Amino acid sequence: MANTTAEQARGAKIMLELRDIHKSYGGTEVLKGIDLTLKRGEVLAIIGPSGSGKSTMLRCLNFLEKIDRGSISIKGETLAFTDESGEVHYATGSDRRRLLSSMGMVFQQFNLFPHMTVMENLLEAPLTVKGRKREEVLPEAEALLDKVGLLEKRDAYPGKLSGGQQQRVAIARALAMKPDIMLFDEPTSALDPELTGEVLRTMRELAAERMTMVVVTHEMAFAREAASRVIFMAGGVIVESGDPQEFFAHPQEERTRAFLKNML
Amino acid sequence: MDRLVDISILMLEGTQVTLEIFFVTLLLALPLGLFAALGRLSSWKPLSLLMEFYIWLMRGTPLMLQLLFVYFALPMVGIRLPDIGAALLAFTLNYAAYFAEIFRAGIQSIPKGQYEAAETLGLTYAQTMRRIIMPQVFRIVLPPVSNETINLVKDTSLIYILAMNDLLRVARTIVQREFDMTPFVIAAVFYLVMTFVLTWGFKELEAYYGKYDR
Repeated sequence: MANTTAEQARGAKIMLELRDIHKSYGGTEVLKGIDLTLKRGEVLAIIGPSGSGKSTMLRCLNFLEKIDRGSISIKGETLAFTDESGEVHYATGSDRRRLLSSMGMVFQQFNLFPHMTVMENLLEAPLTVKGRKREEVLPEAEALLDKVGLLEKRDAYPGKLSGGQQQRVAIARALAMKPDIMLFDEPTSALDPELTGEVLRTMRELAAERMTMVVVTHEMAFAREAASRVIFMAGGVIVESGDPQEFFAHPQEERTRAFLKNML
Repeated sequence: MDRLVDISILMLEGTQVTLEIFFVTLLLALPLGLFAALGRLSSWKPLSLLMEFYIWLMRGTPLMLQLLFVYFALPMVGIRLPDIGAALLAFTLNYAAYFAEIFRAGIQSIPKGQYEAAETLGLTYAQTMRRIIMPQVFRIVLPPVSNETINLVKDTSLIYILAMNDLLRVARTIVQREFDMTPFVIAAVFYLVMTFVLTWGFKELEAYYGKYDR
């Protein structure tokens, strides 16, 4: 509680703001007006049935999908806005790259670079994108690998690692760019059940360090225990949103109750 | 025995021509094929269609016909190339088309997630292609490129019709002069040695680039 008051005192910085986001594929509207604000240090869990638009929303945040209407701002800077004629404009060039680089992304399928060792995967973006010096990045990368418990795998190729290990490397790779916000797109959905624990543990540690996180997940336990807020999406809209304890104990909406009954 | 050595020395000279065509064609056709593949995959329709047409034309007509066309038809419209230049032009254009299709298939086989991961890490398109996509593509295309390369060694014998003294033509000249089939056997051995070296080289390359395979 003391934490919350302190944050209010300095007007907890808004990291992410979505207004009226719409997105269609072909003729199907996948997102039907999403509004969302995320403050520094918040861990937002997004749950919902498949096809509810939750992954699409996450991918709209970091430009992997382009929105059809609405606005996105990151740390108070505009990434995308819609003008009066209804046309969407995105920040361009280095402005856009800078905004996007403040977000790290973890994918369902890990998407590690298979032709690079674990260490090379971590070094790639800091060296190539930021143009930093190898000897300067190396200790940071080692610390990150140590943090996810995989320092001894530094010279292994991703193909030699288990799914859980690959996903932990993917988290470390995203962290190597020192993002302010971490986005997770169903990070444990491609894993064998016995491997989800190690990935979730890493994510809990991040949450405990007050990393701002958006996590699309089917892991209800993670949403309840590690998240600071849960939103339930269905049919392209946010149906319900709230404090995790409250949300899981007393869901307000009928659709939420039906979904949770199936999940738990 | 002395005769065998004499014939072999003559044929080594022919081999020089063969190797020259081979290496220069490979050196030009590989990068050209890569650019053609990127053009073919371009979202800019005119470029993509142009490359599709070029590939279709080159793969849809005999290499022999292309050689004859460059050698005999181009001079008629005032484009006069030295013999070896004509041969190299035809070979390069033809092989680049085949390489282009190999590269295109290789590039398309890289999962979309690789591009997305690179993009979210902040890599530009050029950096993504150079650092992430192409190294993986090279690994994938090595076997089919190896195939085409071995074909090229043997296809160089087509320049025989352009009256250039490559390995095969030297062999045939001796055969016709001396009514002795030995030069054909020696030619076969020469071709086999060249393709053996290539096969071995590509196997080494595959092993090197395959070090990350599971």
